[in-house]
Amino acid sequence: MQKFLLKNVDNPRSTDIREYRKSGGYKGLKKAVEMEPGKIVDEVKKSGLRGRGGAGFPTGMKWDFASRDPNFPKYLICNADEGEPGTFKDRHILERDPHLLIEGMVIAARALKVGRGYIYLRAEYPAAEVILDKAIDQAYKEGLLGENITGKGFKFDLSVHRGAGAYICGEETALIESIEGKRGQPRLKPPFPVNVGAWGKPTIVNNVETFSNLPLIIEIGPEEYSKIGNPDCPGPKLYCVSGFVEKPGVYELPMGTILRDIIYKHCGGIKGGGKLKAVIPGGISTPILPPDKIDCQMDFVNLPKAGSMLGSGAVMVFDESVCLVSVCMRAMQFFEHESCGKCTPCREGTGWLSNILERIENGMGRNGDIELLLEVASNISGKTFCPLGDGAAGMLLSFIKYFSDEFDHHIENRKCMVN
Amino acid sequence: MITVTINDREIKFDKAVTILEAARSGGIKIPTLCFFEGLEKFGGCRLCLVEVEKLPRLQTACTVMVTDGMVVRTETDAIIRARKAMLEFLLINHPLDCPYCDKSGECELQDLVAQYGAEEGRFAEGKRRHPESFDDPIIVRNMERCVTCTRCVRMCDGVQRASAITVTGRGDHSFVEPFSGGRYDCEYCGNCLTVCPVGAIMSRLHRHSYRAWFVEDEIETLCGFCGVGCSMILQMRENTILRAIPRMGMGINKGLLCARGRFGYDIIESNRRLTTPLVRKNGELKAVSWAEALGLVAEKFSEIKEQDGGEKFAGIVSPELTNEDNYVFQRFFRETLFSNNIDSIIRMFYAPAQAYFEGIFGQGITANLISGIGKSDAVVVAGGDPTKINPVLGLQVRAASGNGAKVVSLSNAAGLKRFASSEPVARSGSENFLYSALLKALIDTRGLPGRSGSIEQEIGNIKWPNDEEITQRTGLRKSDIEKVAEDLKDPKNISVIIGPDIMINNGLMGLFLIAAIIYVLDARIYLLSERPNEQGVIDTGCMPDTLPGGRPLEISSFREKFEQEMGYGVPGQKGLTLFEMFEAIGKGDIKAAYVMGDNPVFNLPAADRIREAMSGLDFLVVQDAFLSETAKMADVVLPAALWAEKDGTYVNLERRIQRLHRAKKSVGGLEGWQIIAGISGLMGSRMEYNSARDIWEEITRASHLYGSVSYEDLATDKSLWPYKGEPLRSGKWEIKIPEEVVEKTGHGCHVYPDRLLFHSGSFSRYSPALNSIQAEPYAVMHPDTAKSIDIKDGDRIKIAAANGWSIELVSKVDNEIRDFSVRVPNVFEGVCVMSLVDYGIEPGTGAPVWKLSDIKIEKVQ
Repeated sequence: MQKFLLKNVDNPRSTDIREYRKSGGYKGLKKAVEMEPGKIVDEVKKSGLRGRGGAGFPTGMKWDFASRDPNFPKYLICNADEGEPGTFKDRHILERDPHLLIEGMVIAARALKVGRGYIYLRAEYPAAEVILDKAIDQAYKEGLLGENITGKGFKFDLSVHRGAGAYICGEETALIESIEGKRGQPRLKPPFPVNVGAWGKPTIVNNVETFSNLPLIIEIGPEEYSKIGNPDCPGPKLYCVSGFVEKPGVYELPMGTILRDIIYKHCGGIKGGGKLKAVIPGGISTPILPPDKIDCQMDFVNLPKAGSMLGSGAVMVFDESVCLVSVCMRAMQFFEHESCGKCTPCREGTGWLSNILERIENGMGRNGDIELLLEVASNISGKTFCPLGDGAAGMLLSFIKYFSDEFDHHIENRKCMVN
Repeated sequence: MITVTINDREIKFDKAVTILEAARSGGIKIPTLCFFEGLEKFGGCRLCLVEVEKLPRLQTACTVMVTDGMVVRTETDAIIRARKAMLEFLLINHPLDCPYCDKSGECELQDLVAQYGAEEGRFAEGKRRHPESFDDPIIVRNMERCVTCTRCVRMCDGVQRASAITVTGRGDHSFVEPFSGGRYDCEYCGNCLTVCPVGAIMSRLHRHSYRAWFVEDEIETLCGFCGVGCSMILQMRENTILRAIPRMGMGINKGLLCARGRFGYDIIESNRRLTTPLVRKNGELKAVSWAEALGLVAEKFSEIKEQDGGEKFAGIVSPELTNEDNYVFQRFFRETLFSNNIDSIIRMFYAPAQAYFEGIFGQGITANLISGIGKSDAVVVAGGDPTKINPVLGLQVRAASGNGAKVVSLSNAAGLKRFASSEPVARSGSENFLYSALLKALIDTRGLPGRSGSIEQEIGNIKWPNDEEITQRTGLRKSDIEKVAEDLKDPKNISVIIGPDIMINNGLMGLFLIAAIIYVLDARIYLLSERPNEQGVIDTGCMPDTLPGGRPLEISSFREKFEQEMGYGVPGQKGLTLFEMFEAIGKGDIKAAYVMGDNPVFNLPAADRIREAMSGLDFLVVQDAFLSETAKMADVVLPAALWAEKDGTYVNLERRIQRLHRAKKSVGGLEGWQIIAGISGLMGSRMEYNSARDIWEEITRASHLYGSVSYEDLATDKSLWPYKGEPLRSGKWEIKIPEEVVEKTGHGCHVYPDRLLFHSGSFSRYSPALNSIQAEPYAVMHPDTAKSIDIKDGDRIKIAAANGWSIELVSKVDNEIRDFSVRVPNVFEGVCVMSLVDYGIEPGTGAPVWKLSDIKIEKVQ
């Protein structure tokens, strides 16, 4: 199929603005500056674009809220704190097509009458920082950022703000706290950032991939755009596939591509001809699926029906050689490590769960441990301050739901059934 | 109107409140832990989860606002399960060392678990370990017990605004730490201790010395360390103070305290307290009985009165004592000794400043609610750092800044550094140039209000210094002053806070210029008050020229009416002011002195001269709780009770009369009025008082000001100026523009007393707790000053004055001092900075204005 988001990434000089222009770059912006800001918001609304960060909130609606807020200045933030384990789609754009992101952000700034933007970049992407800085420099030089953009008299400044290595800062309010120089912890909502965000001002936070869809929407129009992929949540989607497949990597496919097709058609099937055991479809905080559930469409609408979520579109494939107790333990250790500590159930619960899982994994499990895991997880679920705790609990609950025999085997035999 | 249904009960509200507030107003209990009235909402502990119809998840009652038609349930199975779960989570890493923990018995977690928790825990793993921190002298941190409610951090950030502590680490390794690392190095307000629900942050003062249920009695009384008049509770057992605690919402401090109030109570229990009277025999002070000591005083005083008359006596009262003590003292001096020579240390600033402002703007002009500062849209501070002199008042300035007010600091105010919008500080001694330049700039931006012809006439007579002169003298640029005038251009609700340096530096001229600024700004006035009862000293007539209530005694109609009403005589000629008394003592015109609760040979400028003068007295009586420098010179020393051992009243700087309640019986000391009445009785002039109440009732007869305030009224708002009466605020516009009293010499380095946050006058030095925070004086100076005299931070230095006196101490180089001065606290034994300064007397008010002579600083090996 035709590539929109990744059309430049194979060009070795793709980060250069001249190369970007050659492939039609900044055409969307050129069109956008001729449009009324409100018209751009309308087009995004019409396109049906949903946020690519994980929650899938309709971008047009977010923009609508923000543009109705009478307070200025407003801030625009690109969430490039790509921390969800298994996810590396944004990195592809950040490192290989930075101008796509910049163009998207300038269009958004135009639409939302924002004068200042930040790219909140994951601390572990140092290369991306260098590339982005250079690209931003180029954009300033060419009049695509700064005082009088494309000669149309609107102003937008953009810079990179590096995070400090906290997963929670991918949550937009924690991200804003971090940008303000504070401890990265989520804020109470409401008020929402679109009304009270960075430094108390209306702030629009979108994901890298979300911004990267904007030039396309403006260029081909919302009608054409919404013909791509699932009409309920249209557009191209980046899926990043890792684990036991022949060809792991980032794939641009229409939203709603069948999970089985991603694994077997696009990624060449299970590595070494092995047998599929389980798939995590949207990053570590989305529930795991057994092989009989992989005929669903990978989008915001259909995955929940199958018992999981699209999340960031990070597909992790496990074959029969993998011990899922170990995967589960490792994932829970991640959540324990990344829990910000603000709310009780997540702070204490993730530590407790990983303690129990470590015990089981190490052959020290006890009768009743599975029930305890289930109960602790359900005591976290739905009671935490932000979705991090829900993600941890949901992940664990899905592992036990489909693979309790592995846990049982660990507890009863004090060792793994795979190795 | 908003109607909410909670547990099937309809409750109506005029405005949106949180579900928690709604439930509590309806008597429905929802458990909370991280919630704390007055702190920023947090929503972290998840104990207050409730069900709200139409919302998918459980909601935190402490953060979610009610909306019309909302249906809430607080006691469903799911909620009860959730609460149990949260408490189980909170306990998994909590050490459960209740038998050993001081918090046990008043621990919120303990109470919550007892009421809502599960019977047993299921956590079988190892708890996290974190060593208890004893790095700090008075605060002990046990982070194993911390439940990460962040109440302490939110208190420190949002209320105290010290931002000294934070949560470090994350997940279940989140711990509260001071930014400074081991030691707190903070303002030591201890307000974090108040809000900690568990035993994580606690005071070391009473560590393992009590259990919550050991407390036999709780006495609500006042702090005796400054003129704010904070309320606090003394927890007592067996006539011993277990600890001083505030209660949130209580008193004008609303439950906040500063380091002195919270930790300084241990001076009451100090083993250096005097427990028996002392009489000088063969040159040495020897312990004697009360009968012998009082008998000797009565005998000597009678002798001198017979031979020489009342004008041979000098009486010094104290703003640390109660109205009752001071009133009885002035009665004793006037009735028994027939002398008007009564004055006190408030002659230095508070009394002359108040008299001056009242003369211009009217009586009661300084009586303004402290809470009004926080609501101001601009605050101007001159002559001192409110966050050090009156720390809880200082919080109001910070709060104003937090609310967006412009805060202008015209003096060294380190505690306002992060809160001031501008800080133009003039070179010491040149403040009047700054004030007049600012006045001129304000007239340019705001215009003259036209309310008073006389003040505007005087303003018209000011010889304005030119820009060059201002820059040359003050070291400030014109733009610095224009920035202040710009900040103060529009505000409508302005507070001006005035501290003691204004008087000692600039005399009445400084006060006049500030008064003119106040006039142009149409601002409220606050006088900082270093001691707890400065206003009370004025109100009880402990002045050489006024009767109780403040009327001048030289006006015979006032005096005669008073004598008739009270049944005792008052000499018709005003007495000597404080500094006149010392001059008279020096000349041998005064033979005997009674110093009640002060330490003039340490606390007053030219202390060496005062010491020399006093050594020539025939007879010196000192009444004090400790053997101060002055007491050491006395012929008779009478041990006194301190504030926790007294009933009586203080009047704070907003002129609110407040009651002290006796928490304990003094071991050896007596209340001032008891001692005085004893001596007076032996001199044949009996005073029949059985209690502070008796005296209060006499004061209300003597003072037309207090006339309508009964002892019962003291617990109410009726004890606030103007005491049920009408405010008398029509100013007399009596403007005295004085000559310059003393010549300001040179641009060199001058020494000033520094006011410390952790100490108060010369008696907090007896507090082991406050000494553990700061035990030694230091000379603090700006890095540029230090560089110019080649001194480094931590050097041992000698500061020598022209009069030959010198002190030795350690230097502290800090840009908190913004001018060219060196500041040394006048607190610690052996380091009397007051010996280094000299003064001239301002004739109108009798107040001392300092001669700023250059000092010499050198390194000591």
